[in-house]
Amino acid sequence: MQLLSGVEDLPRTSNVRTQLMALWVTAVSLAIMLVAYAAFPGFWPPMSPDMSAQAVAEFYRDNTGWIRFSMVTFNLCGIMLLPLFCVITVQIKRMAAQSQAFAYSYLMATVGGGAIFALSAIFFAAAAYRPDRDPDLILVLNDLGWIVFVAPIGMALIQNLMLALAIYYDNGSRPVYPRWIAHFAIAVALAMAPAAFSITVTAGPLAWNGVISFWLRNIAYGAFLAVMLVATWKAVHRQAVEEGLIE
Amino acid sequence: MSVAAAITGGGDRPLDDSPAQASKRPLWIVFWIFPGFFGLFGVIFVLLLRVIPPPRPDVGYGYMTHFFETHHTTIRIGLGLLFLVFGGHAIANGFVTYHMKRMSSGPTFAYVYMGALAIGAIPGMLLVAFCFGAATLRADREPRIIGLLYDLGMLSFNGSLGCFATAYLAFAVAILVDKNGIFPKWLAYLTIWQIVTEVIATQMWQQTSGAFAWNGSIAFWLAVIVFGVWLNCQILAVKKATDEHVAGTRPLD
Repeated sequence: MQLLSGVEDLPRTSNVRTQLMALWVTAVSLAIMLVAYAAFPGFWPPMSPDMSAQAVAEFYRDNTGWIRFSMVTFNLCGIMLLPLFCVITVQIKRMAAQSQAFAYSYLMATVGGGAIFALSAIFFAAAAYRPDRDPDLILVLNDLGWIVFVAPIGMALIQNLMLALAIYYDNGSRPVYPRWIAHFAIAVALAMAPAAFSITVTAGPLAWNGVISFWLRNIAYGAFLAVMLVATWKAVHRQAVEEGLIE
Repeated sequence: MSVAAAITGGGDRPLDDSPAQASKRPLWIVFWIFPGFFGLFGVIFVLLLRVIPPPRPDVGYGYMTHFFETHHTTIRIGLGLLFLVFGGHAIANGFVTYHMKRMSSGPTFAYVYMGALAIGAIPGMLLVAFCFGAATLRADREPRIIGLLYDLGMLSFNGSLGCFATAYLAFAVAILVDKNGIFPKWLAYLTIWQIVTEVIATQMWQQTSGAFAWNGSIAFWLAVIVFGVWLNCQILAVKKATDEHVAGTRPLD
């Protein structure tokens, strides 16, 4: 983004600059997390809830290195998604007055969702910390990791709902996000919703390793993050144009 | 902006939007999710998860495993429902934060309220769900591990005190300092009783039976009654604040 001359030191220039830096942080961490995701043996295929304690313990013993690598990476980079969500919060606050009511709910849901995600990597990595631990204890840590990773989608749901409503009510002459982002956010929320009930079954498409609860949910949210990175980049770009920082 | 707000520097800021564009419908959408969420929350925790009224702390592994066996199905349905809707707390408390930002007391306590309750959702609402999820997942899990999940879940659900005490303190102080009259002063005094119940509930961490245990008449039931009264008053106060909010304005940044 090439700034016009004479605007480098303005406060509103820093505001745009920090937003772009935040988006870069998330973009890089997202790429690293994709590697960690690919490297976690427990995702290829996702571990079944029906595995015995012995089988789970053996799995952790045989794959200790890769599990540690991927979960430490999730641990380190997972919350670096937060900068993207905070830029979205800043953009919601630029919207028309009636959309403001959604900004704080969005921010609260962001924080809650991030904390849950951080917890799941802790459970998985703790299970891999001592592979010779009693298999029943490795199993319960693994169960907690999976439950926390897959089921509590309530925060992401509210994030997307708040974002969508804010966009729908942003009816000024210069909307911050295009309207289709709202439809897309709702569609992603609907695709993720069934995963909440992964806790009720141990086999089939709804189980934590199933087509709906695991693959549909993760692909939908991954696509959402990628789309929001680009859409938010464009929104910040429009802000820079509106504030006379670039042409 | 009211005269008081102009003097104190707080209050709402009018926006460029024309009155035709300004609508309070979004505020009402957010508002109605508030009682709706707490209603659902009640159904989930009372009828499905069975943590209210709380199962007993003064029991052995036999009772604990029997508890999860008996309520196996309802607990799992309740967990699914909770995982789907628990984000409603972010809407309810985010909306209170929005109104707190309209006060003349400045954004500090609004952010404290938001932050403390965002933290509180994990130990106060979700950890019990994770524990009960793991406890009901496998009927053949060792009783000593089920017992650990039972204790961890119940203690965390009933014994997360500081997050809520901090939020209540921020809420009460903000109301008392505010000159814009967003919420009534008596709500601040009522909120102080919420802090008192949190302090009393510290005793559940060292009692396994009696009035101060996690299912006790003082540490639990008195706190629940105070919470019920307070919550209904808070919802009414938020409704009134939303009523009086001028369309087309928003809190200061």
